Amino acid sequence: MTDTATTVLAPLTSRLAAGEAYRPRTLDALRIADGDLRAVLEGKRHLLFDGGMGTMLQAAGLKAGAAPELLNLSDRQAIERVHAAYVEAGAEVITTNTFGANALKLGDAAQVEEVYAAAVAAARAAGARYVAGDIGPLGALLRPLGTVSFDEAYREFARMARAAEEAGADLIVIETMTDLAEMRAAVLAVKEQTRLPIFATMTFEADGRTFLGTPPEVAAVTLDALGADVIGINCSLGPAEIRPFVQRMLGVTAKPVMVQANAGLPHVEDGQTVYSIGPEEYAAAVAEMVTDGVGVIGGCCGTTPAYTELLARIVAGCTPQTRTERPDFTCASAQRLVCLAEGTRQVAVIGERLNPTGKKRLQAALRAGDMDYVVGQGISQQEQGADALDVNVGLPGLDEPATMERVSEQLQASVVLPLQFDSTEPAAIEAAVRRYAGKPIINSVNGSAESLASVLPLAAHYGCNVIGLTLDEQGIPETAEARLKIAERIVREAEHWGIGRERILIDCLVMTVSTNQHQAQEILRAVQLVHDRLGVRCALGVSNVSFGLPARELLNATFLAAALGAGLDAPIINPGSERYMDVIRSFRVLNAEDEGSSAYIERYAGQTDPYRVAADVAAGKLVASDNSAGAAAKTPTQADTPAAGAAGADGSPVDTADQHEAIRHLVVTGRRGETARACEELLATVEPLELIDGYLIPALDEVGALFDRGKLFLPQLMASAEAARAGFDVIRAALPEASAAAKGAVCLATVKGDIHDIGKNIVKMLLDNYGYEVFDLGRDVEPEAILSCVREHGIRLVGLSALMTTTVANMASTIELLKREMPGVTIMVGGAVLTPDYARQIGADYYAKDAAESARICEEVLGA
Amino acid sequence: MWPMDATGVPTPWAPSAGEHLAINRAEVLRYLGYTGQEMEPELADRIETVVATLEASLAPRGVWAVFALRGTDGDAPEDTDGAPPLSLDGSTVELAGRDIRRHLAGAPWCAAFAVTLGMDVERRLRTAGSQHPLEAAVLDAAASAAVEAAADALNTEVEHRAAAANLLCTWRFSPGYGDLPLDAQPGLLAALNATRLCGITATPTNLLMPTKSVTALVGLFPQAADADGRNQAGQTARPDARLACATCRFASGCSLRARGETCGRSAPA
Repeated sequence: MTDTATTVLAPLTSRLAAGEAYRPRTLDALRIADGDLRAVLEGKRHLLFDGGMGTMLQAAGLKAGAAPELLNLSDRQAIERVHAAYVEAGAEVITTNTFGANALKLGDAAQVEEVYAAAVAAARAAGARYVAGDIGPLGALLRPLGTVSFDEAYREFARMARAAEEAGADLIVIETMTDLAEMRAAVLAVKEQTRLPIFATMTFEADGRTFLGTPPEVAAVTLDALGADVIGINCSLGPAEIRPFVQRMLGVTAKPVMVQANAGLPHVEDGQTVYSIGPEEYAAAVAEMVTDGVGVIGGCCGTTPAYTELLARIVAGCTPQTRTERPDFTCASAQRLVCLAEGTRQVAVIGERLNPTGKKRLQAALRAGDMDYVVGQGISQQEQGADALDVNVGLPGLDEPATMERVSEQLQASVVLPLQFDSTEPAAIEAAVRRYAGKPIINSVNGSAESLASVLPLAAHYGCNVIGLTLDEQGIPETAEARLKIAERIVREAEHWGIGRERILIDCLVMTVSTNQHQAQEILRAVQLVHDRLGVRCALGVSNVSFGLPARELLNATFLAAALGAGLDAPIINPGSERYMDVIRSFRVLNAEDEGSSAYIERYAGQTDPYRVAADVAAGKLVASDNSAGAAAKTPTQADTPAAGAAGADGSPVDTADQHEAIRHLVVTGRRGETARACEELLATVEPLELIDGYLIPALDEVGALFDRGKLFLPQLMASAEAARAGFDVIRAALPEASAAAKGAVCLATVKGDIHDIGKNIVKMLLDNYGYEVFDLGRDVEPEAILSCVREHGIRLVGLSALMTTTVANMASTIELLKREMPGVTIMVGGAVLTPDYARQIGADYYAKDAAESARICEEVLGA
Repeated sequence: MWPMDATGVPTPWAPSAGEHLAINRAEVLRYLGYTGQEMEPELADRIETVVATLEASLAPRGVWAVFALRGTDGDAPEDTDGAPPLSLDGSTVELAGRDIRRHLAGAPWCAAFAVTLGMDVERRLRTAGSQHPLEAAVLDAAASAAVEAAADALNTEVEHRAAAANLLCTWRFSPGYGDLPLDAQPGLLAALNATRLCGITATPTNLLMPTKSVTALVGLFPQAADADGRNQAGQTARPDARLACATCRFASGCSLRARGETCGRSAPA
């Protein structure tokens, strides 16, 4: 990867490498207007914000949907009047009229800088004590579900932050955010580009989550760790409805908390827009929240200076109570919080399977950019009961930072578990944690000076937890005490960077007992010491302990139980192992985490003890047979129709025509399980390649033809493809060399600007099942990315899809680029709005009207 | 006069308690190209499971607002040169093209609305797309049917309010139908405050996000005068012999049309 690319992906690592010193963010490093504002940030003083601007302007005639920000330039006095009214009502902070003043929304109408300059000036002119530069959402959704990249969002927020600071704002308020990823980009932008205090509030719906699914606790712990100075909630709901959510925030952060509620919902009365909650009711509800512990208050939609006046009375002469935070270990994804509470023995399972070491299939998927497989491994670990996922993508020759970033992004779209980023390369760690929407874990830092200097700043700057390995320049120490010493060093260093011990997990490093048998006891003692003497929690990967011995899972499971007993908090294990998860689930009874043992009872009450059944079988009590549902075997569901047999009932060979017919029938009717069984049996008498080319492929071809004639519809086409795939998998498993080795490679993409990919995914599935190697670049793909893929993998056929007439233009430019740079490449196009004529016009070589046609085109282009 | 006495105030909407949106299975199958093929029971089960799971978890949200219509006086001029732009009074929304003008001809008011299935469905579509292609195709069709059902429900709510004010509604017309361009989306969302109230945004290419979202415009006009349900302007609420295909956004690439069939909707998809 180029240096520029690394710098963009991992800016802090690049700066550290260049010799820059990193200083963690503290109040002393900020530009704070005066002592009173500082007292607010320290939680010692209340602060009163103003109320709604939009509602005031609409009441004065602003059209629905018009951008109020432009009024700073065209009618500044109107804005000043609103600000002045709030100042008069007692507001200490005036929020600038810049909610939507980002380049995406302003377009050509105005420059970001001039809007902020005018807005801050208007607030000052109105007599504001403090001016808050307001930053609202960009108005477009971030990737992976949307189209805006994190870096793009960061650039927009950076511009707004700088403009606000240059214009003279005293602080920045980032508000009405619903997407934690977008909020992260904004907070980082303000943190890195300015020295102003950061007030950050998110918007929750009645169900207690933002539109993107983030609950209040997740928002609070993430923003607290990331360095926001004041954290809270604004908009959407009235104060009484917000109260329970603010209480949940107050429970997980010691930072000052802020609330700006709506005055209920608008309706029209006598030609006026009226909000359902009046000033008195509003103020009474806010007063309750101040009693709960809220330090900073103000108003959002529907509030007016009349509300502000009453709020001023609530905080007049009042001091917020001192609040402390319980030092729980917390990590979070955008949707879920995982908490190991102080004073409890709760444990969290970290799934270890996303690690390419020794995993051929995963290695291949990473090299090919097959994100679906990688994400699938994450999903299955989630289903198996992991609480967080370790993510390691280190492979020789692979661009680790770029891959780590991409895997992280894709996982976040489909997996709700918090992630743990595992790498020895700081740039790879940073590429992920910079952008991660949540509070992740970094795996790992160790006791060596180099590691401490390069990894701890990342944990500090990006608000992460960190695993500390008890090794240093001298290697892994022998004794528990020596491990403790290294742990102490890591904890001390972390404290210098502002990372509290509740954000650290110490990994005492498991050695294999076959070579270091006495080490097992030392490791367990080390875990105890770290807990007792340092008050820090522990992580541990257990599978090393059994290396070189038989029945590895048995030994690992026992060691796991012993370690949990010694105080292990976060085992890093394979949740796919029933045995390990049995240990975890039963330990959760012993540590009282599973209250009333209810989960344990529910799960195990009906279960047969696997040891008992095996013993019964041995004792001859049960007859193991194909039809038995007992023992450990999970039998596939048997359908009624008999599988195609290679031999007739009397053992004589069956007519091959019958065999062909059997396979054809099974594929056409889309029967996965039976096709797999039939192929298994046929492998006894038929050559694998013949089975593929002579049986399965013709069956698929027929399916395509039936589909075109309307005899089969789409789900049937896909079910047939699944059946054929089941057959291919059986053949591949039995004889890997026989696998459809390079029938040819195809690159598929939905073009830039288009986010519809169902059609492309269907084509992908079918081509995959025909045996082609498919590189699926996803949706909203830049032309250059397609070109790179074609070059890197020597691809001769590209399939482009676009569903909208407006994005078909991007298809034309993509084709143009490809034809110019790689003249030998063939291009097929598809999508609901395309026609053969238009396809020709834009320079495509083939028009594919559906998935079956794509398969035929592949055969024609690549088949030779 | 519209009973709310003034216009332009966005009102949030969600299905009322006890109102469960039903997904039309026949519609889902039509989107998947079903024309009566014989299906294996296992496949039918798989399809039904996907649809039923979605149906049980639906939590759509929407918003609507009524605006006085400006720029449409008398009959729709075929030639729009020199005609004042069609706009929603009190907002920044201007509606371009002949088809919307024809659709709203003679209507003093226009109700605009937006509805969405939300981000959770979006995530599920995304995950299914990467892991289970068949289920993903079915989920996509089911979600399309579901958002149409949600739009129908909100449309019905608007019709009830209109009826209470002795007004009739036209059927709903969305950006992307006919020659009403997609670049109307951002303005419509802003006028409805749909981003704050429902979490709907538009991508730089004017696609709605979450993807299973619908925005629409409905003309409101005084009650019927004659037995056919036509008012003085000659309009009816639900014209039956409409050229549905002519205003359907899939018209040019529709595989049913390619086979000489129709999807049977009297309102366009």
